[in-house]
Amino acid sequence: MTESAIEFSPERTTPFLQEVMERSGQMLTACYQCRRCAAGCTVGDETGCFTPNLLIRTVMLGDRETALSNPLVWKCVSCYTCGTRCPNDIQTARITETLKKMAKEEHVEPMMPKVKEFHDAFVESGVRWGRVNEVEFMGIYESKAALREAKVKNYDAIVEEIKAQARLGLTMFKKKRMHTGFLMASGRREIKALYKKAQEMTTIDQ
Amino acid sequence: MEIGYYPGCSLKQSSALYDLQSRMVFSLLGVELKEIGDWNCCGATSAGKVNDFLAVAMPARNIGIAEAAGFDEVVIPCSACYSRTLVAQKRLEENPGLRTEINSELKRKVKNGLKISSILEVFMDRIDAGAMKEKAVKKFRGLKPVCYYGCMQTRFPYTVPVPDNVENPQGMETVLASVGVKALDWNCKTWCCGASAAVNDADTAFSLMAKIMKEALQRGANCFVVTCPMCQLNLDAHQDSFCEKYGIEERLPVYFITEVVGAALGFAPEILQADRHFIDGTTLLKELEEHEQK
Repeated sequence: MTESAIEFSPERTTPFLQEVMERSGQMLTACYQCRRCAAGCTVGDETGCFTPNLLIRTVMLGDRETALSNPLVWKCVSCYTCGTRCPNDIQTARITETLKKMAKEEHVEPMMPKVKEFHDAFVESGVRWGRVNEVEFMGIYESKAALREAKVKNYDAIVEEIKAQARLGLTMFKKKRMHTGFLMASGRREIKALYKKAQEMTTIDQ
Repeated sequence: MEIGYYPGCSLKQSSALYDLQSRMVFSLLGVELKEIGDWNCCGATSAGKVNDFLAVAMPARNIGIAEAAGFDEVVIPCSACYSRTLVAQKRLEENPGLRTEINSELKRKVKNGLKISSILEVFMDRIDAGAMKEKAVKKFRGLKPVCYYGCMQTRFPYTVPVPDNVENPQGMETVLASVGVKALDWNCKTWCCGASAAVNDADTAFSLMAKIMKEALQRGANCFVVTCPMCQLNLDAHQDSFCEKYGIEERLPVYFITEVVGAALGFAPEILQADRHFIDGTTLLKELEEHEQK
């Protein structure tokens, strides 16, 4: 008797699949692997063949570890091309967004930490002042990245990053594209109250 | 005529020229953009990656503000803000529980019926009213733009009514044609520039932008026209970097739609603040204008 190429146990698979389907709002089981998503994937050249259909199959097989840590989840730019073209209306970008959140909740080290740091910094800035201040937000983002690199004593990476951002910042300043004033919404209290509520409801994404 | 206006954070900072151009151009076309009071950040694409409740709650507050101020319509020039607000409205309509939860924290509650328009929809209304043709005083026949829509203008994470063709939109081409500018057809209209990846994953974003740039050049374009401030900033600020990396010698200015329409309506490039581009935007407009006068 030949050995099965993939191991499949419904007891282990079903809860994970159910959770991803409920939180992303996407009917993963409708996928029949036609690969229209794969053909149109914006980051197809960058993810080493880890295409949206493959991510769906990974979740269906209950491979939690791979589902939370693969190039597609972390390189997906949420362009929504796959979902727009899917004959079964599966929006895989919603699945990658859900898996990013699940990885964070389960303290899985993100494959691309800068992606997580970027979105966290953006939301922090927006919630704190009610509006995102580009300079402050980039500052928070860069400090998060620098702190992580400093922990592993990767000082060269910090210097390179600062150099690159300083170059861009200087050009933006010269072209009058850098804003020096400060933006704020007085209704930020409402946003903070909503954020608090949002954190209490992390598992109810839909 | 007055309509509500949500600028969003970009148009108040790095893309302030887009804010200025939008107000000037629509004012000339007979529409006053009235900024809604004390608006907040829409959460952009980041909120959806951090917390879905927040991704609806942030635009919801702005919808409540616009409705309480008595606006029937609010225009959102930034493609990301437009997308997030439209999606939030749809989700609030479909999920009364979510709406009650969010409304309980809001001073100005979300009701319904607010029309959320992209900048192209407001231009379309002006075309129908005959204002564009009437006010277009300058010709730019030498302008060969490719219209770049990016992602957020036509593709949404939830099913919402899309006012244009998803794969081959025509909105910008129609707006430009109404002021006598003929856009080129090309393949990358709705490709992605990488958005925030330009900051957190530059290799990916540069590879995407180089593909877009090469296709534009092969078609013989001499500029890009965009609606999204993120696409504009990416293709403009990083153009030298991604072109050097991929061996592309040419450079193309990246105009906002309001900039090209504004120029055709007779505004000088300086008035439109076209000098705030990383890739020179004023020379081409001036050369073409001189060429027309010969």
